[in-house]
Amino acid sequence: MFKTLLILLFFVYFFSVLGYLLNLFIPRLWFVKCSLLLVSSGVVLQTALLGWRWWEAGYLPVTNLFSTLFFFSWSLALIYLYFELRYRIRATGLFVMLMNLILLGSAIPREAQVAPLIPSLDTPLFTLHILFSFAGYAFFAMAFSIGVLYLIQNKRQTTHLPDKNLLKRINEEAIFLGFGLFTICMITGSIWAYIAWGYWFSWNIKSIWSCLVWIFYAGMCHAKFIRRWQGSVYAWLSIAGFAVVLFTYLGIGLLLESNHPLE
Amino acid sequence: MSIYSGKDLLKTLWAWGCSLKLAIYIATAATLLIMGGSLIMHKHPEVFGPIDQMLMRDWLQGAWRRAPQLVWWIPASGFCLILFAINTFCCLIDWLIRIRSRWRKTGEYLIHSGFIFLTVAYSWNAVDGFRTGPHPIYPGEEFNLEQMPDYKIKLESFTPQLSETGRPLDMFNEVSLWQGDTELKRAQIRINHPLTFEGLVILPTSFGRSLNGFRFHMPGKGMIDLTGGSVLALPNGGTFQALSLLPHVVKSRNGQIIPAGDQVRNPAMEVLINYPDGRDWHGWYVLRERIPQPMVEAGLFIRPVEPIMKTYSLITINRDPGSSVALIGAIFMCLGVFLAFFSFYAKRARGDRPEY
Ligand code: HEM
Repeated sequence: MFKTLLILLFFVYFFSVLGYLLNLFIPRLWFVKCSLLLVSSGVVLQTALLGWRWWEAGYLPVTNLFSTLFFFSWSLALIYLYFELRYRIRATGLFVMLMNLILLGSAIPREAQVAPLIPSLDTPLFTLHILFSFAGYAFFAMAFSIGVLYLIQNKRQTTHLPDKNLLKRINEEAIFLGFGLFTICMITGSIWAYIAWGYWFSWNIKSIWSCLVWIFYAGMCHAKFIRRWQGSVYAWLSIAGFAVVLFTYLGIGLLLESNHPLE
Repeated sequence: MSIYSGKDLLKTLWAWGCSLKLAIYIATAATLLIMGGSLIMHKHPEVFGPIDQMLMRDWLQGAWRRAPQLVWWIPASGFCLILFAINTFCCLIDWLIRIRSRWRKTGEYLIHSGFIFLTVAYSWNAVDGFRTGPHPIYPGEEFNLEQMPDYKIKLESFTPQLSETGRPLDMFNEVSLWQGDTELKRAQIRINHPLTFEGLVILPTSFGRSLNGFRFHMPGKGMIDLTGGSVLALPNGGTFQALSLLPHVVKSRNGQIIPAGDQVRNPAMEVLINYPDGRDWHGWYVLRERIPQPMVEAGLFIRPVEPIMKTYSLITINRDPGSSVALIGAIFMCLGVFLAFFSFYAKRARGDRPEY
C-alpha cells in the first residue's frame, strides 16, 4: 500500500515537472498553475505518508537511506512551495522538482521497512538533528537549483525564467536560511554527541564534512557582501557548496566508511 | 619610528582583523586543509584511530612523533581556525563599538560570538581535562579517578537490558560520584543519559562478563561454589583455599601455568592446602584435567559443574573543562539564528545591504 502511494506520489511530481517543461516550450499560465497544483497535492500526500510512517514507527523514520531520501525530497518540495508562493518563481520549479524527482526516484527501489529504533538513536536530539540537517540540505539544494538557473539566465536573458536580480535574492535567502537551520543541526548533533560519547566533537569523517558544509555556507553568508562576488561567482559557489553537501550526505556513506551513528 | 607610524600600524592591523576578505581567505584555507586531511585520516586508522579517545594535545604529541607527514594538517587547520576566530572577534568588537546604529544585527553577532565561544571551548578541551576508559567496574565496586585524586565513582548496581534474542539493548547503571566521603551526585546512567558534574561526563560504554568462580559437586556435600579467596575445612582437618581462578591457561614445557585469555576455555584454580600435620601444598588445579594428587590426599574429590560468571559494566569517564563555554556558545548561536531569521526579512524590507 505504502509503495503504491509512493509510486503515485512519484507520478504527481513527474507530471508537475512535465507541466513546467511544457511551459518552457509553449508558455501558458495554465501549465504552470497545473504544475503548482500538482506540487501542492504532492506535498500534502507526502506529508500524509511521512506522518503515517512516523505514527507507525513511533519515531521520525530517518534512520536509513530510503527514509532520508524520502525526507529530503519532502523538505525540498515544501521549501520550493514556500519560495513559489512567496516570489511566484514559476518556471524555476522545473529544475527544483526535477531534482526532487531524482531523490524520490532513488528512494523508491530501496527497502522502505521501518526497523525498531536502536536505543542510541532514541532521543529527541536525534530527531531535531536530522530534521534541521535535511531542512538545511533542502535549502542548499534550492540554492543550487537557483544558482544553475541564474547562470542560464545570465547567458540567455530569457523571459521564461525569473529576473536575474530575483534569482540572486532567492539564492542568498536560501543560503542564509539553510545556514541558520544547519547551524541548529550542528548544535543539536554536538549536544547529542556529548551525552552519547562524552565529547561534543568527534573526528569521524561525517562530522568533519558536516563542519566543512557549515564553514562553507558561513563563508557564503559573507560572500554576498563582496561586490565582485555577487551574481555569477555566488551562483557557482552555490553549485560547489551543494557538491560538498552531496558528498557529506551520500558520498561518505557510499564511498567511504564512517563511525558516525548514522553510517 | 614615529608615534604616527605606530598608530598607523595598529590601524592597519585592526583593518586586517576586521577584513571580511581576509576572513574568507582564512576560512577557505582551513576548509581545503581539512578536506584533504579528512581523506588522509580515513586512509590511516592506525594513526587516527584513537583520536577521540584521548585529549587532542596527547594524541597530537604521539602522532606527530610517529607520522608528522600525516598529521601536520591538524595543527595547520587549527591555527587557521584560531586566526579565523580572532578575525571574528575583531568584527564583533567593531560591531559593539557601533552598536547604537547597528543593533539590528544583534542576531548575526550572537552567531559570531557563539563561534568564538566554541573555538575557545574546543581549544581549552584540547589541552586540559582528560578522557579515560572504558574501565571495567563490577557492581558494588569503587573506581578511583587517577586524574582527580580525591574523587571516586561507585557502581551501586548494574542491570543490562537484552532483547528477546539476547542482543544487548541498553545498560542501567546506578552510579554515584564521591569526593572523599561526600557524595556529590548520584544518577542512573544508560545510553544517552550520562552523569554530568562540572565538566565530568560519566557514561556507560558497554558491558561484559568475566569468570568469578566455579560450581563443584562434592560427594556428601552436594554443590559448592568456590571463588577466589574461598576457604574450605578439609574432612580430616586442615584447610583448602582457592586463591585465584583463571579462565584460560596453557602449560609451558616445564609444567608452568600461563594465563592465555579471558574466555572460559581451559580454566585453572590456584590452590593452597594446609594439611592437619602442618605441611602445605601450593599449586594449580587445571579443571579439565585430573584432580592433583595433593588434593586427593586431602580427601577433596570435587568435580567441576559450571563456571560462575560476574557481569561488569564498562564505563567511560571524560572531563572537558570547556564544555560549559561550548554550551554558552551553542545557546548564543541558537538565539542568534532565531533573531537573524527575523531581522533578515526586516533588513530586506528596509533595503539594507546587500540589496543595492
Ligand atoms: C564561523 C564564523 C562566522 C560565522 C558563522 C558568521 C556568520 C554570519 C552570518 C550568518 C551573517 C549574516 C549574513 C546575512 O545577513 O545574510 C554574517 C554577517 C556578517 N559577518 Fe560573519 N560570520 C563569521 C565570521 C565572520 C568574520 C571572521 C567576520 C569579519 C571579518 C565577519 C563579519 C561579518 C559581517 C561584517 C557581516 C555583515 C553584517 C551586516 O552588516 O549585515 N563574520 N556572519
